[in-house]
Order: sequence, then C-alpha cells, then structure tokens
Amino acid sequence: MSKTLADILQEKGIPISFEYGGKSPDEMVSREIQKEPTPRAKKMRDLYFDTLSSATVEFPYWYTRKYEELEHEIPVVRRAEALKCAFSHLTPTIWPGELLVMGKTRYYRGSFPLPWLSEGYFMAREDELYQSALAKGGASADEVTKWGAGGGNVTEDFGNVVSIAGKFGIRNEEVPALLRLARSWVGKSVDDLSNKYERLVPEYEIKENIMRSVICMFDSGYTLPQGREVTNYYYPLQYGFGGIIDIAKEKIDEVAGEADGDGIIGMDRLYFYQAVITVLEGIQNWILNYAKEARRLAGLTDDAAQKKEYEDIAERLEWISTNPPRTFREALQLTYTTHIAILNEDAISGLSPGRLGQVLYPFWEQDMEAGRITEAETLELLECHRVKFTCIDCFASAGVVGGVLSGNTFNNLSMGGLTKDGQPATNGLEMLILEAAMTCETPQPTLSVLYDDKLPEDFLLKAVECNKTGTGYPAWMNFRGGVEFIHDQYQDEGMTLEEARAWAIGGCLETSPGAWHELTLNGKKYSIPGGAGQPTSVGVHFISNPKVLECVLFNGHDHRTGIQVYPKHNKKLETYEELWEVYKEYYELTVDALCKCNNIQHDIWRKQNMGVFHSMLKPDCLDKGHHIGNLGYRYNATYNVESCGTANMVNSLAALKKLVYDEEKYTLDEMKEAILANFGFKTAEEIGSYSLGLQEKKAGGEEFDEIHSDCLMAPKHGNADPYVDAILKDYEDWFCKMCRDYYSLYARPLYACQISVSTHGPQGASTLATPDGRLAGTTFADASMSAYPGTDRNGPYALFSSATCWDHSQSQNSQMNLKVHPSAIKGLEGSRKLLDLTRSYMRNGGFHIQYNIVDSKVLKDAQKHPENYRDLLVRVAGFTQYWVELGKHIQDEVISRTEYEAI
Amino acid sequence: MEETGLIFDIQGHSVHDGPGSRTLVFLSGCPLRCEWCSNPEGMELRQRIRFREKNCVTLKQDCTRCADACPYNAITFNRDNEIPLEIDRQLCRNCDSLDCAKACLKEALIISGKKMTVTELMTILNRDRQFWGPEGGVSFTGGEPLFQKRFIIQVLQKCCEAYLHTVIETSAYVETEHFLKAMSMIEFAFIDLKHMDPEKHKEKTGVSNKLIHKNIKALANSNWPGRLIIRMPIIENFNDSEENILATASFLKEVGLDEINILPFHRLGDSKWTQLGLTYPYRDYKEPPAEKMEYIQQLFLDQNLACYNGYRTPF
Repeated sequence: MSKTLADILQEKGIPISFEYGGKSPDEMVSREIQKEPTPRAKKMRDLYFDTLSSATVEFPYWYTRKYEELEHEIPVVRRAEALKCAFSHLTPTIWPGELLVMGKTRYYRGSFPLPWLSEGYFMAREDELYQSALAKGGASADEVTKWGAGGGNVTEDFGNVVSIAGKFGIRNEEVPALLRLARSWVGKSVDDLSNKYERLVPEYEIKENIMRSVICMFDSGYTLPQGREVTNYYYPLQYGFGGIIDIAKEKIDEVAGEADGDGIIGMDRLYFYQAVITVLEGIQNWILNYAKEARRLAGLTDDAAQKKEYEDIAERLEWISTNPPRTFREALQLTYTTHIAILNEDAISGLSPGRLGQVLYPFWEQDMEAGRITEAETLELLECHRVKFTCIDCFASAGVVGGVLSGNTFNNLSMGGLTKDGQPATNGLEMLILEAAMTCETPQPTLSVLYDDKLPEDFLLKAVECNKTGTGYPAWMNFRGGVEFIHDQYQDEGMTLEEARAWAIGGCLETSPGAWHELTLNGKKYSIPGGAGQPTSVGVHFISNPKVLECVLFNGHDHRTGIQVYPKHNKKLETYEELWEVYKEYYELTVDALCKCNNIQHDIWRKQNMGVFHSMLKPDCLDKGHHIGNLGYRYNATYNVESCGTANMVNSLAALKKLVYDEEKYTLDEMKEAILANFGFKTAEEIGSYSLGLQEKKAGGEEFDEIHSDCLMAPKHGNADPYVDAILKDYEDWFCKMCRDYYSLYARPLYACQISVSTHGPQGASTLATPDGRLAGTTFADASMSAYPGTDRNGPYALFSSATCWDHSQSQNSQMNLKVHPSAIKGLEGSRKLLDLTRSYMRNGGFHIQYNIVDSKVLKDAQKHPENYRDLLVRVAGFTQYWVELGKHIQDEVISRTEYEAI
Repeated sequence: MEETGLIFDIQGHSVHDGPGSRTLVFLSGCPLRCEWCSNPEGMELRQRIRFREKNCVTLKQDCTRCADACPYNAITFNRDNEIPLEIDRQLCRNCDSLDCAKACLKEALIISGKKMTVTELMTILNRDRQFWGPEGGVSFTGGEPLFQKRFIIQVLQKCCEAYLHTVIETSAYVETEHFLKAMSMIEFAFIDLKHMDPEKHKEKTGVSNKLIHKNIKALANSNWPGRLIIRMPIIENFNDSEENILATASFLKEVGLDEINILPFHRLGDSKWTQLGLTYPYRDYKEPPAEKMEYIQQLFLDQNLACYNGYRTPF
C-alpha cells in the first residue's frame, strides 16, 4: 500500500503539526476564499445590485413645512418639532423577505437632500443659485472629482429621472418641489448663514483662495457636520424609547427654572429635555408606521411563512417602539432603527456602530442559552444586516460624496480590543460577524480589528481568512496605540486608562473615544462599550501637502487657477532649512484660516442645527441636560487637521534636498522650470489616465529627461533610507505638535489625522508635477504611510521600517495600504504569515494596515469590462467599495499600488 | 578585518524558503553552471550589466547616453533592429565604474550586484528581524552562498551573535572543511541533488557530484543538530527517470536522511539570461506536468521518504 506523507512524518517523528496535505489548489490567481450568502440574503443583495441611488423630498418637505410654521420657537425645540413631523410622515416600505426592516426613505437605496445645511449645490443645473454655488470656492472640488459611472450611481438623466449631485436620481416631478424647498432656505441654511459671518474673519480671503486652488478639499460645518464617530446604543437597549421619555420627563421636573449655577446655558436644559421627548415621539410614530405596514402586508399574503414573518416584524417593531429589547432579534432591529434615525437627523458619513458584537452580545448569549436562536439563524440575520447597511446612502455635494467618500458611508464596525479590565473582548458573536462578512460580501458595514497581542489566535486567523476574500476588510488597527492616543488626547476631560479601552473606529479609521456602560439583562450585568465623543474629521479638512509645497516654490502662486493664494514670501529659498521654514509658515497660515472659518460654520450648526436625537444617545447629554453644542458629550476635543499626499511631499522634499541643496546638481529655478513643463510630458487630462505609469511624453519633451530621471531616482519613502526617513520624522514631529496650537469652537486643541480617503485623486488632479518626479494631475500616493506606487523597492519590511520611524500615537491615525497578490498567502501557512506580517507592523508601532488581496490583472480587466464585475469589491483607503462605483482616479491608483508577491 | 561581499538581491518577506517569514539574501558567485539556472546574474563573482530592452528609448528619443559613457566602446547601435542597442560582451569589461548604467535615465541598463560590508548586511537583517514574526530569520541563497568564503563565515558568526535563525540553500560544492564550519552556524539547510550519475551531473552543471555527496555524508555523520532537506529540481529528460529517483532515494537512506523537496523546473529566469546578453539553454523547456510531479513524489513516498512537492515543504 502506498504511504502518505502524513504517515511518514509521524513515523519519522518529524515535529510538524499542521494541516499539510495539498488541500489548497495550485494556481490561485483569483481570490482564495469565496463563500455564498444564504438564499434570503442573496436575494436582498441582488435587489441592491439592481437598484439605483434614489433621492426623494419627502423628509425635507415635512421638515421644512413644520420648521417654517415655528418661527417663534427656540432653535432646539423648533428643530425637534420639524424632525418629529418629518419622521412621522415618512412612507414605510417593507420588501418581501426582509428580516430587518426600515430605511432612510421609502426607496431601497434612498436618501434625501438636507437644504437646511446647504441648499445651493443640488439646485437645478440651470438655476442661478447653482451658478452662484459654482462660483464659490467650496464648489471647486466638484469640478475635479471624477465619479465612478457604474453600479448604482445615477450620473446622467434618463427617462423620468433627473441626476442630482452627480450620483442620485430623483423623479422629475419632485424637482420643482426640491427647488421650492431649496429656495426657502436661501440665506438661512448653515452654509449661507455661516458664510455671512465667515467673511468677517480677516483670513477669509486666504481661505477662499485655499478652497479655489483645492489646497483644502472641503468646508466642514455644513457638508457632513457629524460622523467619523462611534454612536452609542446603550440608552435604547437599556431603557427603550419609552423609558428615555420617562427619564426626560423626570429631568424636566428637576431642572425647569433652575440655572445650575451657570447663568448662561443652565436654563437650556429644560428646552433640551423637551426636545428629546418631541423627537422620540416622532421616531416612535415612524417605527409604528412600519409596524402598521407589516400588518397590512400580512393581511395581503396567502403565503403562511411570509405572513408569519410580517407578523413577527410588526410585533418586534411595536415592542421596541417603547420598550427595551428582550431578544437578539429585537436588539438588532433596535440598533439598526436607531442608526437610521441618526442618519436622517443630519448629513452624516462615517457613523460607526462601534463594537457592535460586544454591544449585542448579552442578548445573543442569553438567546443561545435559552435556545431562542441558532448560529445559522444568527448568520442569516447578520447577512441581512450587511445588506441593510449597504443600502445606506449619504447625500451631500458631488465633491464631498464622490471626491472624498467614493460614495461610501463608512459605517465601520469594530471588533476585538480589550475589555474594561484589560482582557480580550472578542466573543462568539464577533466570529459570526466575520463569517457573515465572508458569506455575504458587501461594502457595509466595513470591519476593523482592534489588534492586541492578547486576542485569541483563532479570531485573528479568521480575520485573516476574511481578508483573503479580497474585500479588504477587516482593516487592522493597533489597539494599544489607540489607547495611548485616546488617553493622551482626552485626559484633560477626565479620560482614564479603563475608559480609553472603550475606543473604537469611527468612519474609516478615526480613533474615537468611548465609554463603558453597565447593561442589565434579566438580572445579569454586562459592561458594554459605546461612543462618548463628538464627531471627528471635523475642523480642517484634507490639506494637500504637495500643493502647499508647490505654493512655497512659486512664491504663493497657484499656476492652475492663476490665483495668488498666499502672501508672497519673496525668499530665495537658498537653503533647505529656509524652504522648510516657509513650508511650515504657509501650512500654519492654512490651518489658521481654515480653523477660524470652520469654527464659525460649526458654531452656526450647533446653534441652528444641533443633533437632538443623536445628542441624547451619547453620554452624558441625557444626564447633563445638554446637547452636543452645549458640550453635553463627555469628550469634546475631537476636531482635527487632515492631511493628504504625505508620501509625495516627503519624497519631494528629499529630492529637493538632494538635487538642489546637497549636491547642487540643479538650481531651484531649473527645478521649477521642469515642474512647469511637467518634465516634458502631456497632461493627465489629455491622455485620460491619472496613473504615473501611463503618462505620455510630449514631442520634444526630452530636454527634461535627465532632471526627471534624477527626480525619480532620488531617495524615496518606504525603503528604510535614513535620508528620507529623517524628513518624514521631522515632518511628523512638527505636524502632530503644530495641530495642537489651534483650537476648535469648543476651545479644545486640534490634533493630526492622517488618512487620504479618496482625496488623493482630486487633490492630485489639481497639483502640478512635483519634485519627486510625479507628473501633473496624477493621483498622489494613497493613505499616509503607503509608499508612492512603484517606489518601494525593498519589500514590505523596509516599508514598515520607514513607516514606523515616528511615534504614531501622536496622531489620531496613520494609514498603510498594501496590495498583496493572492498567490503570496495561499493556504493556512499563508494566513499565518499574513498574520505575522500584520502583527509585526503593529508591534513596531504602526497604527493601521489594510490589504487589497487581488491580482492586478483582474482589476485591469474590470476597468475594461465593468459589466462583468458588478460585485467585485476592493479596498481603497479605509473602506471597501464596489469597483464599478469608484472614480477613475482611484481605480488607476489602486491598480498601480505596489503588489507584494513572495516567490 | 571586516569582509565585503557581493550581493545581487535581498528580498524581504519571503515565505517559501524556510520557516516563518524571512529575508532572503542572494550572494554572487557559483562554481556550478547549471543550464537551467534561474539566477544567472549570480553565477559570477562580479557586478554585471543587465539590459532591459523594454525601457530603452534609443529608437524613440535617439538616446546614446550609455554608448557615450562607455570607455571601451562596447555599446553600439544598429538602427535597423527593433532593439538597436547592442552590448559587445567581449569588449565590455564589467568595469568598476559602470558609467553606462549611471548614464541611463530609464533604468534600461542596470547594475546587478552590490558590494556590502558585513556590517551593512547585518544592519538590514537587524532591521528586518523586527518584522519577521516568531519563526522567521535569514535565508542565504545565490549563486552559491558559500562561495564567498570569508564573507559568509563572518556574516554567519554575526548572525549567531545576534541570535538570528539561519537557513542556507546550497549546492554543497565547496571544500569540506569550509562547508562544515559554515554549517555549524546554520540551523536549517536545503542541499540540492541534481543527478546521481556523476557524468550526467557534470554534463549539465559543469561539475561532478562527488564532492557534494562527500559533504552531505560528512554533515550527516557529524553531530550537526540542524534540519536538512534535500532539494531536487525536476527537469524532464534529465533527472526524472525512475532509475535516478530510486538512486536518489537510496542515497538518502544510506546517509540517513528523511526529507526531500522536489521542485518543478520553471522558466522565470529566462529574461535575465537575455538581459545579460546570454542565451538561455532551457528557453524551450516546459515545466513538468503536475501528474509527473505527483508520480515522483509517490515514488519517494513509497521509499519511505518524506517528499514535499513544490512550495509545500512543512516548516
């Protein structure tokens, strides 16, 4: 009889104990892990694939109507009444087969404009309001943003559908109503009102120049004023909406007429509690309207199973409209309902459910023990949950939704981390959340592992297995690094080490403060984490680091627009040190101008448009009687400064230092001439690709060959070259500290946030060639720690070594994206090695790493034949998105990222 | 005195050449001349000029920078050819200055091989070890990693002092004394057995296999505590006969070895032969079919030897 290898190994006593045996197939150019959803989830997901992003004015109509009626009311109550009216009037829709129900609008994939934030940009194209919006600096990002034209995006009018904001379809007959609504907010929206006061800031003109030249991507206060934060479900889960209303009523008895020794906002508590009651009544109506719809549908169907499902849905909704949930199914529905309600209250991207598997664990554990649910039923529910989250769309201007977010909504679910007392926080429900993310691949909710050395190996390996589906989730974040940052950042507001451990990712990778709450269920006590801080990625949005350097080289002038952005520095820049000093001066001027103007925008927001429902959910608004705008949240030092294009800036500084200052091979004027000539190349626009490798030479462009070659060959980030690493470290040490010199409207210091999301596309598009050899208009390096594509030539260890040359805990985050070829991580051995790689980056102080496990050949084919790749998911920068819904800038960049394949 | 070595590549995050995730160091110089070699740039102990014709812009831009820079007039152009640039490898001295590669702006001419001191190499290994994970380490390959004798001994001594896990992939075609000294500092070795017949071995590799066999035996008879896996590239119509497989198996059993890793011939090195101005003798050879590899694996298994197919060696 033939012997097997396993027999021989055993016989010889060769000490190997793993699943060897050639189970994994030989060629693995496609992704290794491929699973299928349950038929129910598959049906719901297929429905999603066939659905377009749709907008409707139902919510804004009822909101505006009520708001106009209540001119006499004080803002927080007026807003609560308007919200209540809108929620109460939303048409409920339930699709056959749904287990989890409710949505932002009556459409499957619906959303709506919020003209009270900003009314200009979604006006009809012919409308003069639209024209004036275009003329405003804040709209410039729209012009350089390229939408992905596939998938569910409605980029052009068709039939009875009008395309608005470059992504959403709206029924033609609703357009006049939309325009009428928009007009009613002219001069009153947060955008308009804050602009009136912004203009009084002495640096306003510089700020407008900064926006027009796309040095900064977006205003903050009226675009997506909330989000990039972790929400909190504790109060509804513990008390139910009815219980919260009771609490608010008791509180009114306590505080009515009491100044709380404050004399300024103490009296406001009464109005806030009144507003909470009002808005909750609206949400209860909304839930009960869905319950009614479920009952109506139950009466229409002859299918007994479907009838039972509708009745169960109705019962669940009726119960949770008032009471705290008793089962996992009720708790899951309640958290989802709560989530959607928050998203309807304001324009929000990046509202994260936080460590949802830990939040819902008490309900699941008790259901499992009592035999009320099985693992298979849980998995099906979690798959449906993924589809429902994926259906969430976020309405904002084309520039914001397309340019920054690539249509993604960043409802990031965190897993892992440690408990309050420092023990691994993973549980069986999190294992099923990972499984559902593999069986039902969808962009939302994207997943993050809060990596800690203490986390169990089976959980970590399952997370790696999930990476191998190629969806890019989960991303890996350094738990202890996050704790250090959180503890440091919020210590002035009373943050303890224990509470720092409650952090989770808000948005794509914004480290957000949390808190622990004791949840009691059937007499058993659990400690659950939840968000406890204000939004992050608010404040100063996305400064284009290479563009600031360009302005330094050209004396404050932007060649693309012809604008003198900054005051002329008139310096000869004779030394590298002088260049670096001017760079810092211009940068600080930028942060200063943007910070002041955005503070005004946010101040108008908090006075006119504060969150009521969302405020109530987070500690300690309900206890203190203050909404977010009155510092009701426990942690308020959340405003940040975002940067983009760090790798290109560092590489450019290195090239200038070497070629102009150290070796003096070229003068600065020669360098500038080459930059203006785009090193002898055509522009990216002309050739229609934004990736460096595909750029074409102009006829007669050879005279710049030598300087271009020298620039390309100059030292580059990601090669463990001390020459460049020192520049990165200098920059980081300065940047992280400098941000703290500026204060948010809440009088708290800002901090550094280093993610690119998708801004490296449009910001690259508006930047000339750079001294590192990058050509004009081409996309910047993604993230902040990734190397520029093709320039890290010494493998991932050298890249990691460069990326960790500075202290990541000084920044809210850093970002490293790696593309890995599927063949490099085959089988269980491959999984272990990917985990080793991840772990090594974390242990050396890296904050974040995420993988795109896909063959570039597949992506190139998908660009040519999008029709064959409707369900292809890829990782961009902190989020996962359908390939066909990505803009071309970003598609090109993802293809050109350096691919690691160990052979 | 600190030694300087010639290294033609260093690859981080190698996952097939030893336990865990490793850094792979390719040392130049080899006493063998295997016709199927996939790293021909490592054969000789000197820097080599590689010409990557895809990058050359002579035709498009009338560039003659390399030819202008060459002091020996070794580079000429024939504009009738699709690739006009020609390097006369007889005239080319592979000189120390390598001005031609420095002059090239497109990286069409690149230098293969970099001189490094022991300290410089150790700096890289100590950097990378932070990222290897618990089982990782350094793997030396080549060329023949034991060819630069004084250099490799110093490097191995430094590795021992730094507690680095060491793997070597060697032909074992070096003096026995040097071989055993080096191996005493190695924890895990792959040694190639390309053919059991000394004449056939000499025909395709340029050397007899007698020294190799002697060294393997000497190692097996010493008290070396490491793990040794024999590696065998499977080349059709050369060493894949049942007779040779069984002879290899008896050799392993005679010496007291248990493990062999068979690797299918591949042509990934083809372009490098061309870039060096050489003709790849195995250009038209095909990779052995999977069934053949499985058949050979089974032959070894039936001889009671642990045989691993391709990159499936358990570590």
